[in-house]
Amino acid sequence: MRVGAATILLAALLFSGFRSIGQLPPLGRLLDPANGVWATARVADLPAVERGTIPGLRKQVQVLFDDRGVPHIFASSEEDAYRALGYVMARDRLFQMELQTLAATGRLTEWVGPKALEADRHTRSLGLPWGAERKYAASDKTSLATRSRNAYADGVNAWISSMKRQDLPIEYRLLGVTPFKWEPIFSLNFFSRMALTLGFNDASLNRLAAQTMVGRAAADALFPVNSPIQEPIQPNGLASPRYDLAAIPAPGTPDSTATLALAAQRSLLATLGVAKPNADGDAIGSNNWAVSPKRTADGHALLAGDPHLDLTLPSIWYEMHIVVPGQMDVAGVGFPGVPGVVIGFNRDVAWTFTNTGSDVNDYYAETVDDTLRPSRYKVDGAWRPLQNRVEVYRDKLGAVLKTDTLYFTHRGPMTKMAGKWISMRWTAYEPSSENENFLKAGRAKNATQWLDAMSSFIAPTQNGLVADRAGNIAIRSVGHYPVRPGDGRGDVIRDGSSSASDWLGYLPLSKYPFSMNPPQGFLASANQQPVDPKMNPSFMGSDWYSPWRAIRINDLLRADSAVTHDAMRKFQTDPGSARADAFVPLFLAAAAREDSAGRSDATLKEAATLLAQWDRRYTKTNRRAPLFEMAMRELASRTWDELIPPPNKKTALPAPDYPESQILFELTQTPTSPWWDDRRTASVTEDRDAILASSLRAALVSSRKRYGDPEGDGWLWSSVQRANIYHLAKIPAFSALGIPVQGGPSTLSPSDTAGKQGPSWRMVVELGPDVKAWATYPGGQSGNPASPRYSDRLKLWENGELAPILFPKTPADLDRKRVISTLTLVPR
Amino acid sequence: MATYAVGWWAVPLVALLCGLVITLDGRPVVYATVCAVAGWLMLLLLDAARGPLGEVAARFGGVMGFPPAALVATTLLFPALLAWSASSIGAALRKKIVREPAVVLADA
Repeated sequence: MRVGAATILLAALLFSGFRSIGQLPPLGRLLDPANGVWATARVADLPAVERGTIPGLRKQVQVLFDDRGVPHIFASSEEDAYRALGYVMARDRLFQMELQTLAATGRLTEWVGPKALEADRHTRSLGLPWGAERKYAASDKTSLATRSRNAYADGVNAWISSMKRQDLPIEYRLLGVTPFKWEPIFSLNFFSRMALTLGFNDASLNRLAAQTMVGRAAADALFPVNSPIQEPIQPNGLASPRYDLAAIPAPGTPDSTATLALAAQRSLLATLGVAKPNADGDAIGSNNWAVSPKRTADGHALLAGDPHLDLTLPSIWYEMHIVVPGQMDVAGVGFPGVPGVVIGFNRDVAWTFTNTGSDVNDYYAETVDDTLRPSRYKVDGAWRPLQNRVEVYRDKLGAVLKTDTLYFTHRGPMTKMAGKWISMRWTAYEPSSENENFLKAGRAKNATQWLDAMSSFIAPTQNGLVADRAGNIAIRSVGHYPVRPGDGRGDVIRDGSSSASDWLGYLPLSKYPFSMNPPQGFLASANQQPVDPKMNPSFMGSDWYSPWRAIRINDLLRADSAVTHDAMRKFQTDPGSARADAFVPLFLAAAAREDSAGRSDATLKEAATLLAQWDRRYTKTNRRAPLFEMAMRELASRTWDELIPPPNKKTALPAPDYPESQILFELTQTPTSPWWDDRRTASVTEDRDAILASSLRAALVSSRKRYGDPEGDGWLWSSVQRANIYHLAKIPAFSALGIPVQGGPSTLSPSDTAGKQGPSWRMVVELGPDVKAWATYPGGQSGNPASPRYSDRLKLWENGELAPILFPKTPADLDRKRVISTLTLVPR
Repeated sequence: MATYAVGWWAVPLVALLCGLVITLDGRPVVYATVCAVAGWLMLLLLDAARGPLGEVAARFGGVMGFPPAALVATTLLFPALLAWSASSIGAALRKKIVREPAVVLADA
């Protein structure tokens, strides 16, 4: 009996020890204290002294890790430096590097099985791996970029091959997988993925969707090509925003001709698995600004940047410092998986970026020879062969899960929907070498050289800001902007059977939004429309983010003629809001007018009283921002009811997102516009004040229900708005959730209700005789959750503080008290 | 040591051998179980001496949905059950192997 029980128990334990059960990985491998997750404790700290070897390394490289976990790499050649970088990045972030590679190449199923199949199919259908392979094939094998990628791969693979069992990151143990060999092309795959994240902005979808509901004229006004509030990146000589406000055409007859175009685009994007455009342009966005010496306290140029991206643990960024005497001395952050600094500074210049968000992809209806198995497509009456690729998706054990055949025209991937074949052209497919741009930028001696280094950058389009020690500041929106035939717009499906539909070329560099040393003494970008259309009407995109953040930062910079680096830091978490400044008075005035007209009630009066108490700053301790945000949501849903399908009506296509809040503001200039009338109240015709008042009233009711007493802690902004920084694999125990943050929608530190996006890096640089910098990001250098460097920077980030960045010229210049680890890499 | 050298599956192997070979007043099962737990406990203490084991327990416990202390307990229970079951089987096999055959003596 006992033996029987023992046999059954042993069998069960062995099974659970060797095999996964549900979400649990094999227990034996996991719990093993010598080789399982417990062993990660042994490698949580960097050893004080360490030695490693890298095949191909020419000479010894010394890497000193400071107490912030930043590697200072001292090498005698650039390639050796990138080998060392690959080694240390892999040691700190291997899981992140490989996970994002699998995501970018559509191979997640090889780690997580069939549940990732649809995501992988979308990635490959979108042509991301295909585009990266094109770039790789077209790359100059002797170029700096190619040599850096190869050297970097040497370093990564050297680490992988030298790993002991205890070095295997915990995530591999949980998944039951092992690292794969790093290929140089993976760095290009990463850029393709970033282009998708930053450079795939289908604002035309909203306009088309609106057109099917309210007609072309109204849709064009709701999702316009040009912002009605102009505060462009390229200064237009005005000292304040220009309000090009116009009456928005009344809702018109639904335009069914847009239905096909919308259906095709929606279907294509669904097939490709592309997320819809950000629904709330007020909730996210990057910033950068630079100040000329004439407007700084110390007489040196200042530069600040805070790119807003998905917040993850480990961070999307990795901080580094690379020194090759006589060739480069650059510090800042780069992407794990890519050699080099992307945002940072050297001894002469500093630079950073915000996303331009321009329209750089188009669709074409193709004519094929066989709708089921096409082999050719027609252009100008002649057949051209299609390129096809057979994509095989495998599971962890290598078994085939699915096979797809993908088709490509000269424009890009072609996908079938509703019986039609539609291809897509996208600048991210163009042969390019983004990492070469960054590597050369890191060697620039002045702003002009930096601009030259970035001039061939293709995708994603970025507003590149630079400042140098000579006091120059400049900004240029770099990237390729397609020049389209006809009206130049990019929001239609073009006839693929005619070459006349193809792009005519790209905007010349001279036409890029650009400014250098403007009379106003500062430059700033916050994802707003880059250039005043009265100065440059070239089509670059549409439905730009509302310029509230741009207005705020320009106000701060205009008001301070002696800016300090600490002021720059404080600006990055400034709680003020131009959006609140615009809308709060409107709500209060409407409540007052309703009261005067005898149409008010106790709830509306209380709501107005509470809102009037707010200083319009999104500080953690304020208790009124929640009411305002609720009122804004109510206002949008009541105003744009024409864009909401009736509940009893089934629609084949999703409704558009609400227009930007700047459009809502534009509408407030027309108090009796038909848009204000809420169709759901058939017996009443509302005007602006009625809707504003009813929104405010409803907001108080909802806020009380959700947050409790207006004087209670439930109304604290720190209770309502929090950052949620998830581990890459969404493991809650490895995540940092519920972090209270200062700032809210449309402030310089915007955030959405999910809290998953935010300032991924904050940096301030002073370009004096010695360049000084301060920075942080929400996380830590190590990807090991047991490491003290996994999330050590979180508190600093939460508090809006920055740490001084160590920038030694030689190893001897680095304060030994600040060195926690020395790694010597030697040739094998 | 066997765990350190080859992995967790050394525990049932060694325990099986223990049950087969060792008598120790008829308590090889107890001996094997106690040694397995003690061995893994020592390895855990070794890990703790070289790194933030508490942090690992908290993080990893969070992954599995266990409090840290429960996770440590599970880590020690696993080898205990492996050793108990394997050594029980070993001991039973040993009894079968060394049992004297029955001898029937004929009447004189």
